[in-house]
Amino acid sequence: MSQLFYIMKYKLLIFMRLNSKLNFETMLKNFGSSIIYLGFALGAFWFSQKFINFIVVEVKVGLFLLHEFISMILFIFFVAVNIGNTIVSYSTLYKSSEVNFLFSKPVPSSRIFVIKFLDNFFYSSSTLLLVLLSVLAGYSVYFKLNFFSFLFLFVFNFIPFIFSAGSLGVILLLLIIKAAAKFGFRRVVFFIAAIYVITIFLFFKINSPVHLATSVMKLYPFIDTNQYLGEFIAPVIKFLPNNWLSEAAYWITRDQISKAIILSLQQIVISVLLFISAMELGRRWYLATWLKNIKLNAEKNETKNHETLFSFGSSSSLKSQTEAIIKRDIHLFIREPSQVIHFIVLVFLIVIFISSVSGIRYIGLGNFYLQTGIYLAVFMFNLLLISTISLRFIFPLISLEGLTHWKVRSAPVDNKFLIRRKISIIGSIILFIGTGLSYYTSFRFVFVIELMSMLTTVIAMITIISINLGMGGLFVNYKEKNPIRISSSQGASITFLICIIYMLFIIVLLFEPMSNYFLARMIGRHYNLFRLIYPVIPIAVVSFILTSIFLRTAANSLKKDF
Amino acid sequence: MLELKNLKKNFSSFTAVNNLNLAINKGELFGFLGPNGAGKTTTIKMMTGLLSPTEGEIFIDGENVWLKPIESKMKIGYVPDQPFLYDKLTGREFLLFSGGLYNITKDKLKAKIDELIDYLKIGSWIDKRTEEYSQGMRQRITIASAFLHEPIVIIIDEPMVGLDPQSAFVIKKFFTAQVNDGKTIFMSTHSLHIVEEICTRVGIINKGALIFDDSIDALKKLKEDRNNNLEELFIQLTNEEE
Repeated sequence: MSQLFYIMKYKLLIFMRLNSKLNFETMLKNFGSSIIYLGFALGAFWFSQKFINFIVVEVKVGLFLLHEFISMILFIFFVAVNIGNTIVSYSTLYKSSEVNFLFSKPVPSSRIFVIKFLDNFFYSSSTLLLVLLSVLAGYSVYFKLNFFSFLFLFVFNFIPFIFSAGSLGVILLLLIIKAAAKFGFRRVVFFIAAIYVITIFLFFKINSPVHLATSVMKLYPFIDTNQYLGEFIAPVIKFLPNNWLSEAAYWITRDQISKAIILSLQQIVISVLLFISAMELGRRWYLATWLKNIKLNAEKNETKNHETLFSFGSSSSLKSQTEAIIKRDIHLFIREPSQVIHFIVLVFLIVIFISSVSGIRYIGLGNFYLQTGIYLAVFMFNLLLISTISLRFIFPLISLEGLTHWKVRSAPVDNKFLIRRKISIIGSIILFIGTGLSYYTSFRFVFVIELMSMLTTVIAMITIISINLGMGGLFVNYKEKNPIRISSSQGASITFLICIIYMLFIIVLLFEPMSNYFLARMIGRHYNLFRLIYPVIPIAVVSFILTSIFLRTAANSLKKDF
Repeated sequence: MLELKNLKKNFSSFTAVNNLNLAINKGELFGFLGPNGAGKTTTIKMMTGLLSPTEGEIFIDGENVWLKPIESKMKIGYVPDQPFLYDKLTGREFLLFSGGLYNITKDKLKAKIDELIDYLKIGSWIDKRTEEYSQGMRQRITIASAFLHEPIVIIIDEPMVGLDPQSAFVIKKFFTAQVNDGKTIFMSTHSLHIVEEICTRVGIINKGALIFDDSIDALKKLKEDRNNNLEELFIQLTNEEE
């Protein structure tokens, strides 16, 4: 045990160390990062209050429905943390050179597992905790909760909730690698992805937000809007940690702490059980699966020597520099399992998103604010998906040039040319996905809305791609080979926050014309549809400025000393 | 001191190491030679617990590496071909950290670090962060970390790659002194002149199989008999097997 704490002590020391070069540039970068973190925390604090106010006061859903909606958001959050943790864990537990180092020392594999498990949890969750704290603070202030209630919700409910998602992710990862040895990596990943899709589909089938809202709101003229209406929730949903968490918050706002404590205890117990299970499986399987993973990778590399369309040897109509850069990037992408798994997961998420939005009713909900809220939530989610894909695949692009960047740098390749080629493939895929999603979510509306939606999405996508590329250049780390670690770094977190601020800016501009449109539709009044196009102009101007700044940043990063 | 019995490693249909048998005695500096992809690093990784053998056993001082991993790792010092250092730690902190993994008492560890710093001439760099180190300095710190716990067997993978003459000289002198002290060194390398200079015994591996295993004097005699230099002899031996 003392060895475990000994290693943890040094890990903490490393974690707390700043960059050694304290020059103007790094100070400016750290200052800028702090401002963004602070701004985002304040923004999330403010936004959560406004959002709750909008739902409770404007849409008038009542406390019970509000918390059931929170429960649904928490379910998605749980799945996202869980998937994210599974992918990041693969990098930290199986691909890190530190693990090689520790395995060559007299450190038992179970201890290495614990160290990397915690390393992984804290490495990927620091920004998440900041966001959660800010949102929870906004929630607590809105409902005038005292400090102890806030602390109780955060420490005894949110932390175990996230910990459960993380532990489950690691358990799944161990199972995946164990099963991959028998059935093949790809088959197992597809199987797990299918289970996720079915789980999410079933969750929303059993717990449809529209059905729940319609059923509950029918009663509202006759009952207290804050009354607990548990009979409308399917019994199976009551066994889920997301429901325990949202209901614990509900009972705290209603000043019934004893009910919240019971739910909180359930949360802690399941979290401890999952953690113990992860540790026990790690003790039994970690070394074996680690060795198995090396073998699987070695065998996979061995069987890959056949000519394909992307082989360097095959003929191409592209110019030689373009061909060289594009083919290299394709090879680096498809030969990195974590990138491929991530891509598959995101494709599944897109499928889930498409299948979910196809059932959304916008018109006839009886409340134009609710319609606007749903429309903008879908729009925002579309951009969020684009932002996530960009963060995972665009942000690491410059860093992934790696220490081999000397080869390109010393060759007669223009930096702007290099950047254009590097983003050409993944950028096109993102544009294709985003435009498709935008069309799919707005094609049932009038042409002008469809046009506004697609125009805004394309402009936003180009900007988000540029932000990720530029920030990836600003926070470049040629030493890190692992794309997942690059896209989970501090720079990546800041990039994501910038993208969210940019997306909120778009949502704020779209809110008024869209709500006016839905109001006009509801009361049957004429509405000049071209007013929906007006917000696109400021969005385009700001986006153009941001795109120019960040593309320049990306190009400049390639000029830095290597 | 170090024994490999019928060691084999398969990756699917490819055999990286094939039925390797070796017994290295106390006080030997064993040079493990072979062309690229011959199976040197795979063998070393199996010896240090980083790759599991498909068949066969490895013993360090009578202890089976794969049955008693912790006990045998206490007896091994390992210098990998691509050393891992924590960039944000100074050289001294890294050595203190590494020593702690072997449960060495603080006082003993500090004294040992001072001794190794002095011997390997790391003095002026020891309190700088390792991210500022040159390749040679990184290698010296890695080597120092492998000797902290007084291992009886030291396994080294390509120690001279990218080193300046000064660093190479310091390291060669250090290895020789350790062997004279009774330690056993198993060193994989491409540098034939280093083998000739400091090794007491040589093994040559090609396509996973051991094709030569004898004393350095026997190798030198073979070289003279064939009227070759060591480079030509190495090429001849490894080509003969093809």
